[in-house]
Amino acid sequence: MGTKNTKGIAMSLRTKNQVQAQLSKHKWLKAALPVALLLLVCAVATAYFPRSAKGGSTPTVTATDPGPRPLPANAGGFLPSLSNNEQQIEPSITTEFNRVHDVIVTSPTDGGLGPRFNSNSCASCHAYPATGGSSPPSNPLFSVYNYNGATNTMPFFETSTGPILEARFINVPGTSTPDGNIHQLFTVVGRSDAKGCSITQPDFTTASSTGNLVLRQVPPLYGDGLIEVVRNIDIINNMNSNLTVKATLGITGHPNYSGNDGSILRFGWKASVRSTLLMSGNQFNNEMGVTNELFPNEIDQTPGCVFNPVPETVTNFTPGILTEFFPDDRARTEYFTQWLAPPTPGPSTTQSKNGKTQFTNAGCVYCHTTSFKTPATSRPALGNITINLYSDLLVHHMGPGLADGLAQAGAGPDEFRTAPLWGIGQRLWFMHDGRTNNIVTAIEDHYSLGNSTYPASEANQSVTNFNNLNSTNQQDLVDFLRSL
Amino acid sequence: MPIDNSPIQAHSGSKSRRGLPIFLTLAALVAVSMAALMTRPAAVVHGQGGACGANPCPVDPGPRPLPANAGNFYSALTPNQSAITTRLTQIFTEVNFVAGGPLVKTVGLGPRFNSNSCNSCHAYPAVGGSSPPNNPLFGIYQLEGATNTMPYFITSTGPVIVARFPYVPGTTTPDGGVHQMFTISNRTDAPGCTQEVQPNFTQAQSDNDIIFRQVTPTYGAGLVELIQESAIVANMNSNLTLKASLGITGHPNYSDDDGTINRFGWKAQQKSLIYFSGEAYTVEEGVSDEAFPSENDETYPSCLPPFPVPPGTNKTKGVPDDRNDTGEAPKLPVNFPGDLERFSLSMRFLAPPTPVAPTTSTANGFAVFQSVGCNLCHNVSFTTPSSPIAAVSNQTATLYSDLLVHDMGPGDADNVQQGNATGDQFRTAPLWGIGQRYFFMHDGRTTNIVQAIEDHMSMGNGIYPNSEANAVINNFNNLPTTIGSDGNTQAQDLINFLRSL
Repeated sequence: MGTKNTKGIAMSLRTKNQVQAQLSKHKWLKAALPVALLLLVCAVATAYFPRSAKGGSTPTVTATDPGPRPLPANAGGFLPSLSNNEQQIEPSITTEFNRVHDVIVTSPTDGGLGPRFNSNSCASCHAYPATGGSSPPSNPLFSVYNYNGATNTMPFFETSTGPILEARFINVPGTSTPDGNIHQLFTVVGRSDAKGCSITQPDFTTASSTGNLVLRQVPPLYGDGLIEVVRNIDIINNMNSNLTVKATLGITGHPNYSGNDGSILRFGWKASVRSTLLMSGNQFNNEMGVTNELFPNEIDQTPGCVFNPVPETVTNFTPGILTEFFPDDRARTEYFTQWLAPPTPGPSTTQSKNGKTQFTNAGCVYCHTTSFKTPATSRPALGNITINLYSDLLVHHMGPGLADGLAQAGAGPDEFRTAPLWGIGQRLWFMHDGRTNNIVTAIEDHYSLGNSTYPASEANQSVTNFNNLNSTNQQDLVDFLRSL
Repeated sequence: MPIDNSPIQAHSGSKSRRGLPIFLTLAALVAVSMAALMTRPAAVVHGQGGACGANPCPVDPGPRPLPANAGNFYSALTPNQSAITTRLTQIFTEVNFVAGGPLVKTVGLGPRFNSNSCNSCHAYPAVGGSSPPNNPLFGIYQLEGATNTMPYFITSTGPVIVARFPYVPGTTTPDGGVHQMFTISNRTDAPGCTQEVQPNFTQAQSDNDIIFRQVTPTYGAGLVELIQESAIVANMNSNLTLKASLGITGHPNYSDDDGTINRFGWKAQQKSLIYFSGEAYTVEEGVSDEAFPSENDETYPSCLPPFPVPPGTNKTKGVPDDRNDTGEAPKLPVNFPGDLERFSLSMRFLAPPTPVAPTTSTANGFAVFQSVGCNLCHNVSFTTPSSPIAAVSNQTATLYSDLLVHDMGPGDADNVQQGNATGDQFRTAPLWGIGQRYFFMHDGRTTNIVQAIEDHMSMGNGIYPNSEANAVINNFNNLPTTIGSDGNTQAQDLINFLRSL
């Protein structure tokens, strides 16, 4: 009996703590902005002067980033063993992923953009090194934001040769009410196909100056269909392996569990999304403003700005195309994402082989788990495959240096999913906010001492171990990463 | 006095209120006063000043008899949409086996499950509804040789309820998830699977760590999912003075995904019918799907697909058990949409329940419903926006809900937080169709609609605030006791109105 009361009180305390955490986070961010800027300067310095060691350890970082491997792309193809029928719809799903959405819906497969959006096509952001990937060298938003007469201004944090970043607000602007949602960069105002709409872009400058702005870059989609079927129990067993070594390195980590079915969430920077199905619906509405059967409500319903019946893409019952009915655009992008093959690593060299050994020795591998095996699957192309994703699919404390102040489900404000490393050989930007294009800096950015708000990064000891490697081993490790 | 088939004594204090000493006392008091109400109709009710003073207390006439007032698809479906409704119903009513079922789409049950078919629970008064009068789980739990025992809280004439544990058993870590009642252990269609054990519900009960939720009907859900955010918020911000005087606030449960308003489930934790289908299929039946592609227990390899099956029958090849069939149909895409897609279409195409034609009494009751303030949460209607799905486009949805969540006090609190619906907050349950509903409140605690109204009242404690319904329930209890020209008290008119829906 007393138990229940205790639990009830515990619950309300937890809630209160969350509120306090939000508040202190807010304060912390204000205080930490200069610190963050300093860190950024340091990061830039590190990029330019790779010999300057970071992270409070004495060793010298001598490794240099050879830069992304040149094209042709090491990714972008579909899984090789898709069935003939599945292969038949590859062109259709590719077309859908590449489709540029205008505002007005004129057929079951077009339109629906806005009223707010980050871009007008999946492929504009998921672009490099091939369709389905991440940010390309030239920021595509510069050709999107004023497209068709739109009068958007470009937010201060987007640069023409920088990563595509989307924005979230920690709190509802001007309040201490937790927000966490994506705030789309652009509106349809001014576009010739959106006459009469009058809304304004979010005030990102104020959000930034009040420590309320969180930026996230584009994660690549290759191999997602394989990641989504990895068994939860394999993730747990891996979490519970090598506990002694992990303890000496300060590595813990935990899953971000779904509130829906209790399974482990695995997509997004904080592992907040369960499946390619849910991701496709979420992205259609969040990134492009295209309402769909999964998320059928416009995010902004200001009169004059809603131009289409909702949802804007629906299952197509037109006979003749297919026997019963045909999937909507959302489902087609789901399959595009689900069926993309993982990136192919470059050829193995003596250096990269040694680098892989050093990757293990330094302890990187205790979060960046080399591989999982997919179970038997109902879609045979996805089943019983060893996937070398280099992630444990857990979230870890990454310290104040990376903390973005935003909790998502079970991932705290300083916790991030171990980013899969497959394909980083051709990746242009690193870390959740794309803060660097130098992979050595990215390694060093994993290092962050704790403060009164957040504990130390779980990667600190591994980064120190990396810094302590001799210059050959350091370079081999970096070369190994660029071979992926 | 003749409150029919009231399970008040059986239910009070037996579920979520257990272990909360203050509430237990309160509940006992309520139970005693309710018992007094039943045996001595002249007694003053609830200290509220004589709703049943010298005149008959309102009586629940009980659910209207069949034929069902619901279960039809919209007549405005396009011919192409109508053409598939038979198949949609077939999928919604199919019985799932673990493996080896008669149809390619009827495999994937378990390892853990609450039932083996959507329709077993969403059954009354027609396909798509809620709990039938006789609990279907008794015909399911030992099917195919399964060795399940029936949890203590399931009774043969009680509601279908599912169990959640507020905390991970034996810890103070929040859980909140559904813990399925049954497993596929020893079923003949799960050869080799013997190790799965049912959750220890009795232990959870003695730890005060179990709560229950009953089945929600799905009629009209296609309208509900389309209602505009702006309409929900505008309604929330209407009549603020009146609401404040009654202690009514309420707020949306926002989606973590896109920030729009969630609207399905007892705590409005679900966004859309696809989302709901995806969750329910894997959570309730253990049929993993493309939204939630994991089996719901992966502990024992022998209880996971693929299973050996007799020649000529169908098998699960692996996860997800259900998917859009893009690969194997001899002729693309006879089976293209998976069950998940079909469930969502099935619910989207199911029309709302049809109320009976108004009588003088029900018309009076509707006025009373508004005058006491029920409608300030049970908002009469919303209009859907324009939609490419013509049947649900620009329709008035007379659902009697504001689609917000409200504090309901310790008496209803179930200590499970979902999204931003806290432990004592619940979505205003839509009332359409309750004329034929058997069980009320989130945990199905009563079959008596008068009792259900009273169960909205609950005084706050150190943990949870007062129920936002308290003042409205007081208004109800304080209705004049005179008999009107229609032969009923106002309270009876209100009850008659509710049973007309």
